[in-house]
Amino acid sequence: MQLQIQQLLPVYFDSDHRNASEVWRKDLTFNKGEYVKIVAPSGSGKSSLMHFLYGLRNEYNGSILYNSQNIRQYTAEDFAAYRKDHVSMVFQDLRLFPEQTVYENIELKRQLNPFHPTEKIKEMAERLGIGNKLASKARICSYGEQQRVAIIRALMQPYDFLLLDEPFSHLDDINSQNAMQLMLEESKLRNAAIIFADLERIDYFPFTRLYHL
Amino acid sequence: MAVSFQPIRSLLQTGTNTSSRWFSYIGLGIGVLLLLCSIQMFINIQQLLGGESARKEGYDFISISKTITNETMGQLEKNLFNENDIKDIASKPFVQGVSPLVANRFRVQLSAGDIIPFSTDMFLESLDNSFIDTVPPNFSWQEGQNYIPIVFSSDFLEIYNVFAPGYGLPQLSEATASQVVVYITCYGANGLQQTFRGSIVALSDRVNSIIVPKNFLDWANTKFGHAADVKASRLYIKTKDANNPDFLNYLQQKNYKVNKDKTKFGRVKQVLQGIFSGLGIFGLLVVILALMLFSFYLQLMIARSKDNLQLLLMLGYSPNWLSKNVSKQFIPVYILVVLVGLALTEGMQWAFHHFAMFDRPELSSLLHWTVLITSVVLIGLSLLTNYRMVKKLLYRLV
Repeated sequence: MQLQIQQLLPVYFDSDHRNASEVWRKDLTFNKGEYVKIVAPSGSGKSSLMHFLYGLRNEYNGSILYNSQNIRQYTAEDFAAYRKDHVSMVFQDLRLFPEQTVYENIELKRQLNPFHPTEKIKEMAERLGIGNKLASKARICSYGEQQRVAIIRALMQPYDFLLLDEPFSHLDDINSQNAMQLMLEESKLRNAAIIFADLERIDYFPFTRLYHL
Repeated sequence: MAVSFQPIRSLLQTGTNTSSRWFSYIGLGIGVLLLLCSIQMFINIQQLLGGESARKEGYDFISISKTITNETMGQLEKNLFNENDIKDIASKPFVQGVSPLVANRFRVQLSAGDIIPFSTDMFLESLDNSFIDTVPPNFSWQEGQNYIPIVFSSDFLEIYNVFAPGYGLPQLSEATASQVVVYITCYGANGLQQTFRGSIVALSDRVNSIIVPKNFLDWANTKFGHAADVKASRLYIKTKDANNPDFLNYLQQKNYKVNKDKTKFGRVKQVLQGIFSGLGIFGLLVVILALMLFSFYLQLMIARSKDNLQLLLMLGYSPNWLSKNVSKQFIPVYILVVLVGLALTEGMQWAFHHFAMFDRPELSSLLHWTVLITSVVLIGLSLLTNYRMVKKLLYRLV
């Protein structure tokens, strides 16, 4: 299981970007079990990179290969399977169903390809301190709570790569470490890789590779 | 592991536009009802008016002649069928056979000999044997034979029996009529004349004429007459259905005269079928309109739930699975609507058969199978258009 990027560059970037970057316009290969940290200041295309890898957008030059297959050739069905079985993501803008409860939000992802039984939802929620929020609608939760919902949701499925796009932006250090610990455990369980993009280095992420975007 | 659609249903906001949904359901129901009723009535008319005229082996035999107008009066050529006319008629798909009724082209006198003091100028005609309903085995003639078998119209016998008492002539039963020997005298040019013996060998309900074997008349026309070519004043037509609208239109267009009795059902049928075809087409239009309204409703629903659907797709829900399940939501409604339409049509048919037609045996109180098939097709059609619509809209969100 490999995720490769080859000469990747967003079409809307000018050439200045690529010289400074350790990612854009480079050939990189990510393997299962690796912890990749990508440090990226605002505007360097962090979310673009994550969206490209997740297959949400395709305004890029170069190519992204999953298991040596170019994901640009994927059909809508292929992408559905890709996101269901192989790649999970925590979005910067969370993307929860506002009118559904916390539990429903997580269950909607879990039932698609269950890696854990339903009991695990409550267990994880307790662990991240939102156990009493399961029955609340997502939209009335605080941003920090929603962030933790999005993290738990991403851990409900089997995956080879976990993509994190500023997952702790609204969490304090203790909650962040807690969540990080959970994600590390879950990824170890699957022998999966984590690709973690954030504004700065975070001490409690034991990265094996570090890139500056 | 089957993914459940249950939690997703609430993500599809049906919201405030329930009235437009109900309008499309009702519209669909009315359209289906109109369409099914029209088809059933169409079939009822077929069954009621289909088999009215005298048939032989499932065919109708009718005679046609050219309409004699003031313009064509006295112009024999224009009032007779020539070979081209016959070929033209024979080439039509709704005509299974055509035979000219050839009349005598010489003077014929018929007398009943000494038994009945009766003598009259007559006419003779000949027709292909296969067009005569009653052909006994002895209906044949060879040159030199003095005896001529005759197939006589039963209508003529009836007419004879009406006027016979007034002339002091005996009335004849069908059995007696066939035993009376008549003398047929043919007169040609230059005083040529020959008398044959004849008798009625069969009575015909179909052919209103006095029919003699074809080869006799051909021979006699050559010998006594002055024209030998085939020019018939009447044609006998063998057709699957004398009430076939195409056939009637053809006759009308050619200005041919036809026995109105035999085809009057055809006219009625034509008009009624026209009305119900119109109604059926209207019903179909209503169905299409309702489906369109429904597709607008779907578009609105999907547009309103766009964010949720996009998020589902982003989480890894298959667009194909979503389309199937979203459209599956409407299957029970569609089936229910068509079934209600079908039930009302059945009620209509029962009432029509029972109250308007007094349980006539030609009809059935139950629906015809084509109506049932149509309703199945309608369900299939609505589900298919629905599924394709949803799929198209969903793939637009990917």
